[in-house]
Amino acid sequence: MEIRTFEIEPFTKEPYRLLDEEGKPLFDFEPEDFGLSKEFLLRLYKDILITREIDRMGWILVRQGKAYFYISIGGQETSHVASLYSLEKDDLVMPFYRTVPSLHVRGAKLEEIFAQIMGRASDPLKGRQMPGHFGKKDLNIFVLGSPVGLGHPVAMGVAMGIKYKKENKVIISYGGEGSTSEGHFHSAMNFASVFGLPLIIFIVNNQYAISVPRVKQTASETIAIKAKAYGAEGYYIDGNDALITYLVTKKCVNEARLNKRPFLIEAETYRFDPHSSADDDKKYRSREELEMWKRKDGLLRLKKYLEYLGIWNEEKDEVLKREIEEKLNKIVEEVEKIPFPEPRDMFYEVYVKTPWYLEEEYLELKKEMEE
Amino acid sequence: MAKMTIGEALRNALDIKLYEDERVLVFGEDVGKKGGVFTITEGLQDKYGEERVFDTPLDENGILGMAAGLALYGLRPVAEIQFIDFIWPGFDILISDIAKERFRSGGQFSVPLVIRSPYGGGVKGGLYHSQSPEAIFAHIPGLKVIIPSNPYDAKGLLISAIEDEDPVIFLEPKKIYFAFKEEVPEEKYTVPIGKAKVLREGKDLTIISYGYMIHECKKAVEELEKEGISCELIDLRTIIPFDGETILNSVAKTGRVMIVVEAPRINSFASELSAFISERAIFYLDAPVVRVTGFDTPFPYVLENIYMPSQKRILRACKKLLEGGF
Ligand SMILES: Cc1ncc(C[n+]2csc(CCOP(=O)(O)OP(=O)(O)O)c2C)c(N)n1
Repeated sequence: MEIRTFEIEPFTKEPYRLLDEEGKPLFDFEPEDFGLSKEFLLRLYKDILITREIDRMGWILVRQGKAYFYISIGGQETSHVASLYSLEKDDLVMPFYRTVPSLHVRGAKLEEIFAQIMGRASDPLKGRQMPGHFGKKDLNIFVLGSPVGLGHPVAMGVAMGIKYKKENKVIISYGGEGSTSEGHFHSAMNFASVFGLPLIIFIVNNQYAISVPRVKQTASETIAIKAKAYGAEGYYIDGNDALITYLVTKKCVNEARLNKRPFLIEAETYRFDPHSSADDDKKYRSREELEMWKRKDGLLRLKKYLEYLGIWNEEKDEVLKREIEEKLNKIVEEVEKIPFPEPRDMFYEVYVKTPWYLEEEYLELKKEMEE
Repeated sequence: MAKMTIGEALRNALDIKLYEDERVLVFGEDVGKKGGVFTITEGLQDKYGEERVFDTPLDENGILGMAAGLALYGLRPVAEIQFIDFIWPGFDILISDIAKERFRSGGQFSVPLVIRSPYGGGVKGGLYHSQSPEAIFAHIPGLKVIIPSNPYDAKGLLISAIEDEDPVIFLEPKKIYFAFKEEVPEEKYTVPIGKAKVLREGKDLTIISYGYMIHECKKAVEELEKEGISCELIDLRTIIPFDGETILNSVAKTGRVMIVVEAPRINSFASELSAFISERAIFYLDAPVVRVTGFDTPFPYVLENIYMPSQKRILRACKKLLEGGF
């Protein structure tokens, strides 16, 4: 699909948006004006909805004791899904823990995502990491580590690889606004700008890093403005507006691909649930604030826009939700039957060839377990 | 064959790998035009261009991030950290990303890269240009750690390291970069990772060491020989994965072991080897395993000669050990 470019300046103080909080266009336009078809918007909506349902299921699994931990995405799905839509199949993704449920849009099987959340043997990562650390090589999705910001400089190195191989790809690196406080963010932006690398750092600003609000994270007016210091461009967008998120990310992706330079995108959004299943958000944010942001929900907003366009309604929505729910229940049921990884799984893939002392340690453990 | 120093042998190894493998990229602070502060990469940028051999901004975190990403993307980065003492800003990438990538991804991804860096004392570098932190790397599962002691091994091990599928920390004893020359074949060859080398056979005492310390040990061993004492000298060469078999065979033969490293004693790799031998060969031992090491202080500037184990200190420890004095 070819998108139409439109006039947009970097470094604004107000986030760009095309839809108001009621899902109404802010000015007179048709989606086709931007090269967006109605089928495309419907597909986008359905994927955001699935992502929300995956998230709901994640919380249920923790409550049922079927997962030890869950890290939420509810409320910020729109920014993840719409930005992932702007990539080509060959482009690469450095996810962070909240990106995971949305990775089904890249072709990650729901069975795999749940196997990772539930730590089963069929998890591509073999149950070695906490829920929310998914990645899959054949889908060009890297596997993240837990330290915040770690992915940005590594993604920068991948972008260097893309440039060195003279390929026409880009890599997008996701992180929360907290990740921009780490030196990692600086290293990645600085190198990517100096070397001219096709890197998009996509910051999902959900207003909090666990309990620390955005204003205590950084004193700069916006996150996007930080790009300026590196000689790069930064865009501040409403991450709950699927249209602008897709269009701006696409524009940056296209330019990064063509001109080999980095971009920083700040998508403003909100998470509805506590930071993780180990957190209590009542200690640090008011219910009024939460309710206010719930009214700005990206899923709801896109739904209203589709209704406004006359291509969606409540009835269809109910049917689709039920379908997804049934599907997810079935998947979880299947994944539950899969065993946990074997103890042997702990000892290999530390190195290509397992060293003698690891072989010995495994045999020791095995004996101990047999006794 | 040509005569080369360790520095020249390393440059030669990089040259060979840059020539034969387009995936190899060499980068770091000042490695381009200047050829690195120790001139190891000298001339390589002229020969292979700025795309293959280049300077980076002064940011170890960026250098390691770039290396990690490049390796993740199928290339063979050889990153230089100007002095190993300055790797700490990039340590998160090393511990949290590079060392764990293969394991954490269930074997889907790997980061075959080499981090080369001068290490160790003896050049009046003070606290921040003299340290021997190999034990810190050795403690991180997923990294391999190599330390050569001579030109032949330096070249063969560096080529092996670049061809290895795992991330390798390659520490170069800076005091002996250009201290002496040895015969080194000009063509490509490799020295296997994970194999120690018995430099000298003996029956009274086993000395295990690596890097510059090998040379102080050699002098001590020669001295002892004059007195009719026969030492077995093992150059470990690879710290991780270390060659337990060669060590145990030697201990079985001599019954007495001394380990010599430059690093401070507490939690040094000498401590690991000592524990390893005590656990596996206690019945072969005629005396406790002895460590000769640097002191548990930061590396001093003016007093470095008395800080670093010397022939004299090694000799003294050997005699005490042989007399059962520990
Ligand atoms: C280096 C590091 N420090 C602390 C943590 C613990 N921690 C996990 S998530 C988090 C907050 C991150 O906030 P942000 O980057 O804004 O992303 P969000 O979770 O809000 O999506 C913290 C402090 C960590 N994982 N890594």
